[in-house]
This record gives sequence, structure tokens and C-alpha cells, in this order.
Amino acid sequence: MSLYKNIDNWLDVRLGTHSLIEKELTGYLLPRNINAWYSLGSVLLFIFSLQIVTGILLLIYYVPDADKAFASVTMIMNRVPFGWLVRMCHVVGSNMMVLILLFHMLSVLFMGSYKSPRELNWLSGFILFNLVMAISLTGYLLPWSQLSYWATTVATNSVGAIPFIGSYLVEFLRGGKLVGPPTLGRFFALHVAVIPITIAAFVGIHLVLLQRIGVSTPPFGLKETKSNWRGDTFRYEEHPGGIPFFPNYLLQDMTSIMLYLALFFAVLFFDPYLFLPKDAFIPADPFLTPAHIKPEWYFLPNYQTLKLFPSEFLGLAVQGAAMTFLALLPFIDRGTEKHPLKRPLFMACSIGGILLWIGLAIWGHFS
Amino acid sequence: MDRTCHMGALFVISSLRTIFILTGLLFTMTTQASAAVKSEIVCVQCHGSQTGRFAKPVELWRGSIHAENGINCNHCHGGDPGDAENAMSPARGFLGTPVETGIPGFCGRCHVGVLKDYLGSKHGKNLGKGGPTCITCHGSHQVKKTTIELINEKNCSRCHSYEKPSQIKRAMTATEAKIVYIDSRLSDFKGKGIDTSAMEKSLFAVRNRFHTLFHELNVARINLQTAEIDKELEQQLQSIKRLDETEQKRKLVGVMAIASALLAALVLRLYVKSMD
Repeated sequence: MSLYKNIDNWLDVRLGTHSLIEKELTGYLLPRNINAWYSLGSVLLFIFSLQIVTGILLLIYYVPDADKAFASVTMIMNRVPFGWLVRMCHVVGSNMMVLILLFHMLSVLFMGSYKSPRELNWLSGFILFNLVMAISLTGYLLPWSQLSYWATTVATNSVGAIPFIGSYLVEFLRGGKLVGPPTLGRFFALHVAVIPITIAAFVGIHLVLLQRIGVSTPPFGLKETKSNWRGDTFRYEEHPGGIPFFPNYLLQDMTSIMLYLALFFAVLFFDPYLFLPKDAFIPADPFLTPAHIKPEWYFLPNYQTLKLFPSEFLGLAVQGAAMTFLALLPFIDRGTEKHPLKRPLFMACSIGGILLWIGLAIWGHFS
Repeated sequence: MDRTCHMGALFVISSLRTIFILTGLLFTMTTQASAAVKSEIVCVQCHGSQTGRFAKPVELWRGSIHAENGINCNHCHGGDPGDAENAMSPARGFLGTPVETGIPGFCGRCHVGVLKDYLGSKHGKNLGKGGPTCITCHGSHQVKKTTIELINEKNCSRCHSYEKPSQIKRAMTATEAKIVYIDSRLSDFKGKGIDTSAMEKSLFAVRNRFHTLFHELNVARINLQTAEIDKELEQQLQSIKRLDETEQKRKLVGVMAIASALLAALVLRLYVKSMD
């Protein structure tokens, strides 16, 4: 018996690996009409892992001290072997994570995968989306550049708008009256510990929910596109005669990851500064406000919306209402039809919403 | 400023969203997101709000290299920039406006080397005898970054013929162009996170040496010193070339990485197809 077989047998006796592999990999069947959009979840897991690895590497040299942070990032970019690559991977990766996350959410929306009984999958995913936004925001401060400093100053100022507790919350976030060294400490802890752990926990919840309920069937290429589940008892959505996750769909996942990497490398090596304006390379100066500071691309629609309304309260309220609607969508949209072309109201609203979002982002960029 | 305030509000929206969802909290207050901005000194506040000749210095100063580098009224004129009542009190060090012969000394408190160059030049030797002071060429409030363009027929021919200044300008133009080019490239590299501080310091020193020639009227000496400065600038140009080469190498690696990823995707796709 070969060494491999010996080890395989040894593990199977103790852990039941053969049955585990059968259940979770080779015997884990997916719908026959599954498409590439379903692999975006795996792409996101890959990106998150890459962010963790590059983040840990950056932690080796980064100093979370207001007097040393900028210099430490400059050192990483210029003196640490391949430091520029690690840092730019982390920066580009964070932006790409938001982009792919948006595509993942859109695919779930268009294929009706958020519908009952997957309300909790959608909610956990929506919370993950907000957590990714939060980790991006906290990471913004860490290089202690002009961009970091002023973005955080105005962001923490805005928390003051929350009734009753706003001013206390501002001081709590900043660790003082103004953004300063204590703020960096707080954001650092949030960015490298609290939020990543929370994201990991919600990823786990998201995957457990997926594993319990089963993969949804895409509505394309089928005669019957309505969900037949009545919601009276628990049901695992099985796909008899489907394709196995391993090796078939895992290869599709890997193909998508490779295509993602091609896009990632294109941005990384040819225009990583797409996400880093010049102010990102100037040390923070509390006495000098940069003239033209704009938010990251995914906040541009929010930025422009706030400018459109006569009061900031209205702008915030409208956006809050829109986000609340999106979070509660599976509870509002109770229809069983999943095919987007058979949901004209949904199609009109979603395409209109996407165009509005893109339009506001472009407007915000050039305004 | 308005944009910056709004941006702050939207940054926080993502964190507020969860609060909106979980508690349905209704906001009853408008956001007053104003960034902490350094307030202007009293000199600028008072003169800036006036009209006519009292407002002119502030208007001119705003477009100057001094304003760009945070050099305020009190840095030259003294006084107390934080106390409106005593801002122009001699007891608080207010100097006011210098007399014509005092101008080089007034500017020379900071520009020590330039003062020495000026006083040693023909221009400086004619101070008080119809010769130019600093502000004749550089202006009094709208002081611009010194470039070779300051030597021009309009400026020089106010006092004498342009023949000699044009010879000086010709001798210095190529070096000035190199300095401007290097400065612009360093700014580009800095905007990409490349540590240019050592090169900037070196260029600063070279540029200052070069600018001392702006008060030199001996063309032979200008040619000699310009040649030496050119040698130092050549080293900087070589450093820039190396940085450019590094960028090119990184792009080449990028092309290979992209090609590898695409090839891997293609192979995997074909493999999946073969399993159907």
C-alpha cells in the first residue's frame, strides 16, 4: 500500500474523511443550469483571504503611531522588498472587493436568489456589504496622509448628527475632541481586529445558511421558474442529477478567480493610482485642508445625493430609506417568480436604480 | 469646504445604515459636518473685508508663493496676528512698511543668501541711487516662485537695455528647463508614493545655487557655474531614468502576470468543457 493510501486510510478511520468528501464535495450536487455568476462568492472569499495575507504582511512594518505611521507606509513602499506590491495589492484589493461584492449582490437580485426561504442569506450578505464598507473606511485613516486625516475628520464629524448621542459618539470614535493619535489607535484596532473577525463570523454564518438551505436554482433555461416552496416546513433544496461541486464547479470557481486575477493585475500593474489621489502621499497636516477632496468611487453616489437635497437630513433620510428597503427586500418582495424577464416591475426598478447609481457616481466625480 | 463636509456625511452613511435598519431611528437634526479648518489671521480677516488699497495686499498675497507656503503677513510685517486690537502695535513687534533702502534687509531676514548675492551685484550696489530693490522685479505681495521668466524685456528695459539680460537668459535657459523638468517628474513620482525626499532636498540645494546666479551679471561666470550645476542635475536625471526603468520592469511583470492568469483561466475552462 502506498504512503498516500496509508495516510488516506488513517484519516478516514479517525475522521470519516471519505464520507465527508462524498457529502460536501463529490456528492454535493449543484443545479445543472448553474452559471458563472454563482462563482462570485468564491472570488470574494479569495479576495478576502488575499486581504488578510497582505494585511498581515503590512502589519510587520506598519507602526500605528501618528508620528510614525506615514513614515512607516513610505518605508513599506520604498525600502521593504516588494513592499510596494504588498501595499498596492491591499489597496487595489479593497476596492475590487467592493466591486465584486456589488456584482455578487446584483446577480442574487436578478436571479431572485434572495427570495424566501433565503431571507437570512440575503440579510447576512447585506451586513457583510456594510462591514466591507466599514473596513474600507477605517483602513483609510491608517496611512495618516492628508486624505486619511481629512476624510476621517469629516466622517467622524457627521456622526454628530445622530440625535442625543451624536456628540458623545464623535468623541468616543476620535478618542478626543479632534482627530488625533487616539483616533488612529481606535481605527487601527477596528480595522485589523474587530471588523475582520466580524466579517469572518458573518462569512461563516452566510456559508452555513447556504449549506443548510442548499444552492438556489437559477431561473434561466427552465420552463418552470417559480419557487414551489410554501414556507411551512424546513426544506433543503436538492438538485438530483446535478453537477458535483468537486471537481466540476470548483474548476469554474478557479476559472473565475483566474479571470479576476487578470483584472486585478491589470489595475495593480498599470493604474493602481486609480484609487489613490496625490493627497494620499502627503503626510497629514491638521492645519491645512486639501482643496479638492473626494470620496472613494463607491461613496460618490451618496456624496452627490447629499448635494442634491436642500438639507443634509433629507439626503441622509432618503439614502437610509433606500438602504432599509434593500435590506428588507426579501420580506417585501414575496412573489414566487424568479426569472427577471417575468418580473417587469422588478426589472424596471432595478435597472433604473443601477442607472441612477452610475449616473450619480459620474456626476459626483465631475461635480 | 462644502464638498468636504458633504463627503464626511456620506462616509458615515455606511455605518449609519445598520442603525437605520435595526432601530428605524428617525433623524431629527440636520448634519452639521464642518471640518476643523484653521481660521485666518486677523490681518487677512480685516484687510480682506475692506475695499481699495487696503484690501489689495491681501488679494495679491493670496496668489503668491508666500501664501502657498504658509508665510503670512506677520511673518514679514510683524505684529500680533491673533489679536485684532493690537495686531499693528509696535509693542507687539509690528514693523509696518519698510523705506526703499530698507527693503533688501526686510526681505533678507529670511532670504539671507539672496540678500548677499543682491548686495554684491550691480543692482545692489546702486541701492538708493536709482537701482532696483527686491520688489522692483519680484513684486511686493504677489511674490512668485522665481523662474528664468523673470528676466524679460518688459522687466529689464524699465531701467536699461535688454541686450545683456538676454545673454544671461540664454546661458541659463537650458539649465532652468532641466530643473523644471526634474521638479515636475519628482512631483509625479511623489504622487505615486515613491520617496523622493532625498532627491527633492538635493534639487532644492541645486536650484538655490542656480538662483544665486539670477543676481549675477557676469556672463562668463554664469556659464562656468551653470556647467557645474548641469553636472549635478545630470545625476538627478540618471536617478529619474532608473525610476522610469523600474516602472517599465513592473509593467512587464504585470503583462506576464495578466497573461498567466488568462492562460490558466482558458486551460481550466477547456478542462471543464471536456468534462461535460
